Amino acid sequence: MNPILRLEKVSKSFGGVVAAKDVTFSVMSGTIHGLIGPNGAGKSTLMDLISGISEVDSGKVFLNEEEVTKIPPHKRARMGIGRTFQTPRFLQRSNIRDNLLLGTDLADQMGYFFSYFGKKGSDFETEMNMYMEHLNFSLDLESDIGTLTFGQRKQLEVVRALLTHPKVLLVDEPAAGLNNAEIDDIMSLLNYAASELEIGVLLIEHSMDMVMNICEQIVVINFGQVIAEGNPEEISRNEAVIEAYLGREMNA
Amino acid sequence: MDIGTLVSLAINGLAMGMIYAMIAMGLILLIRAVGVMNFAQGDLLMFGAYIAWWLFVDLELPIYLMIPASLICYAVIAIVFMLTAYWPLRNATYPAATVISTMGAAITLKELATIFWGSYPKMMPAIMKKPNGKAAVIKIGKITLQWQFVLCIIVGIVLIYLVFTLFEKMYVGRIMQAAAQDKYAAELIGIPTILTTAATYIIVVTLCSIAGTMVSPIFTITNTLGTIQLRAFAGVVIGGFGNIKGAIFGSLLVGLIESYSTIQFSQYKDAVVFLTLIVFLLIRPQGIFGEKIAEKG
Amino acid sequence: MKMKKMFLKPSTLVFLLFALVLSIVIPRVSQGYSMMVMNNALIFCVATFGVSVMLGLGGQLSFATVSFMGVGAYSMANFCSGRHGFKLEPMPALLITIVIATIISFLLGLVLMVLRNTYFTFASIALVQVTWSFYINYKPLFGGPDGISGVSNFRIFGWTPANYNEWFYVLVVVLVIVSLLVERIRRTQLGRSLSAIRDNEIAARTLGINVYMTKVIGFTIAGVLAALAGSLYAMHGQFVSGDMFTFERSTTYIIMAMLGGVNNTFGVIVGSILVTMLPEWLRFMQRYLQLIYGIGVILLMVFMPMGLSGLASSLSKSVKRRLKKAKKGGAVS
Repeated sequence: MNPILRLEKVSKSFGGVVAAKDVTFSVMSGTIHGLIGPNGAGKSTLMDLISGISEVDSGKVFLNEEEVTKIPPHKRARMGIGRTFQTPRFLQRSNIRDNLLLGTDLADQMGYFFSYFGKKGSDFETEMNMYMEHLNFSLDLESDIGTLTFGQRKQLEVVRALLTHPKVLLVDEPAAGLNNAEIDDIMSLLNYAASELEIGVLLIEHSMDMVMNICEQIVVINFGQVIAEGNPEEISRNEAVIEAYLGREMNA
Repeated sequence: MDIGTLVSLAINGLAMGMIYAMIAMGLILLIRAVGVMNFAQGDLLMFGAYIAWWLFVDLELPIYLMIPASLICYAVIAIVFMLTAYWPLRNATYPAATVISTMGAAITLKELATIFWGSYPKMMPAIMKKPNGKAAVIKIGKITLQWQFVLCIIVGIVLIYLVFTLFEKMYVGRIMQAAAQDKYAAELIGIPTILTTAATYIIVVTLCSIAGTMVSPIFTITNTLGTIQLRAFAGVVIGGFGNIKGAIFGSLLVGLIESYSTIQFSQYKDAVVFLTLIVFLLIRPQGIFGEKIAEKG
Repeated sequence: MKMKKMFLKPSTLVFLLFALVLSIVIPRVSQGYSMMVMNNALIFCVATFGVSVMLGLGGQLSFATVSFMGVGAYSMANFCSGRHGFKLEPMPALLITIVIATIISFLLGLVLMVLRNTYFTFASIALVQVTWSFYINYKPLFGGPDGISGVSNFRIFGWTPANYNEWFYVLVVVLVIVSLLVERIRRTQLGRSLSAIRDNEIAARTLGINVYMTKVIGFTIAGVLAALAGSLYAMHGQFVSGDMFTFERSTTYIIMAMLGGVNNTFGVIVGSILVTMLPEWLRFMQRYLQLIYGIGVILLMVFMPMGLSGLASSLSKSVKRRLKKAKKGGAVS
């Protein structure tokens, strides 16, 4: 079976700072793949490179074995790369409905013309309710996005991403800013995405609990380079990983 | 096309370019200090010219009184302008709101000028006059130059040099630069940003007003004098957005282009200047001296 | 089909009712000159809808409105005044004009939308200056400083408006159609995409939005609306001259949009009417009118950048909140 997402020797520097160096790993459909590493190791940069917000200096990115390295971000999104952000990016001046509809728009890809003349797209509300079952808050679609708490918005961003019917979902620190109950909810939603929807999830996380719990494979980055890759058990025993984390703690 | 005409056109162009440069410098200073594009810049120039006329011609103050009086007036206008068109909006959520309020300020200034001084154009006498009352000229060989234009250039150079020295060399200026670049940090060090902002406004308004005074013998003073600000905008963009040297260079360039286009396209000099601007924006949006911007579109 | 649903939405019905009431009331109180001014207000409103799309939805400040009004106006003037030896019927001329305007604004959009926000704004200013320079100077196409007169009146199926009051009805119909068309944009993918670009461009890209082309489409729509307004202006006044297309005039359209509420259909209409009609209604204050206008713009930006419609909606929201609180309080006790 082919990986849904594959990076091949991806490198990127900003000025003199190396953000990524020869990064190579794959993510399979229907699995949750963790991307961990100490702060500043280059994880968010990789997300930007995969989604196309940043351009790689060298190396290749493959979506379902199709090369997307030179393809602009909006096209990659249309090909099936979805993502969330560390701080949720919503339209502050629009209501929740319009914000979520942006997700459905991407799934339907019918174009402005057909949308204008009322061509029917996916049943947005049914699908949304299905995802919301994993979460523990309710939505008033007409109210402003600002009426939701930070934690709720983080969870909602995953919902929006799922509404786009992605093949790959990049999730940037979903647990940051969430309380324990919310973390459970979002984990349940991500598990659902991977197992029921066959999405390949790439997850950046600092919470070791969550990572060890939910990820089937983990890739560890430090100073922009892959230092280890394997399942949670292997990773927790890996010397280089321990040193990267503990070593840093000692120096801090 | 003889050399006399060419040089004369060059001097005209540079003189007008100096005026635009003074406006442009003020624009950049304000963008740096408060982040706002000031669409009232030209009308500040117009108002300043009216004030100069009022003090010099209407009240017939002698020059040694007129200059300090006008400086005081300019400072007052600057403070009022800052407090009304900028201060209440400094934390605006709609970025277009601050720009549009400067457009409102522009209209207000135009109308105040009309209310105070009527709508007939005012004549400002040239600084140097021949005994028969006509504008004075210098003759260099075969070339005849109007003194007023030469004066524009000289005054422009002096003022620009002064402002540069203030900002680059003097302590006060560097504090103001710091406050402009990072308000928050500056406040932490104890720099009173409201004072530096006020000082910036005063300098900008004074620059514009002096420019207005310089240009008034050439154009007569009406409440539409402010439209020349658009040339300064062009200069700012051509020279490099946010860059003072660029703005000055760009403005001089605009002045020259405008001047030389009168040879062939006299009526269409606006079109020439602004087509140049569009071309510049497309091939080199960061201007001549600006730094490359991250991404287009 | 969703179109049907839209027509039956309560807010749409209110809007149509509002238009109906206006159509009955206004012709009774206005005739002649003041009706002409009201007609101009409605004509300008069509252009202001273009501002609403570009600035309200797209977040791009564009001064190019007057350039495209000129395209529309001069196109009609050239086709319908007989100055080139032929005279087209207004309706075909209008259709050709719309096509021309669409092509020109699309091409210009492709060129200008490469530029980011502030640079784009400056380019739009430059565009206005360039077109204005040609509009007031080039005789063959634009009549030079004298403009073009003798533009024929509007005619459809053999009927021509006999006076300004009849023109009013034509314009109400036009405006209702334009309003519904623009409102439809707000409620569909194009509107959402433009808002996304305005509020969070990076999110927009990751949501599959082609930022460049979407902005070009927005620019084209604004250009066509402005051209339509220009065409109506030419037929209504039967005269076109370059001083309608100055930079100063373009700031007026922006203010009209902001006054009413740049993202609200009612707001755009109310804003356009107020800005155009207040000088007439407040004639007695004529001397100070412009001054109050200038100060008013500043105050508007300071206290009400969301415009009158924004004020109305935040008032209604706070009333709703108070009612909710009262209900809760009532229920407990």
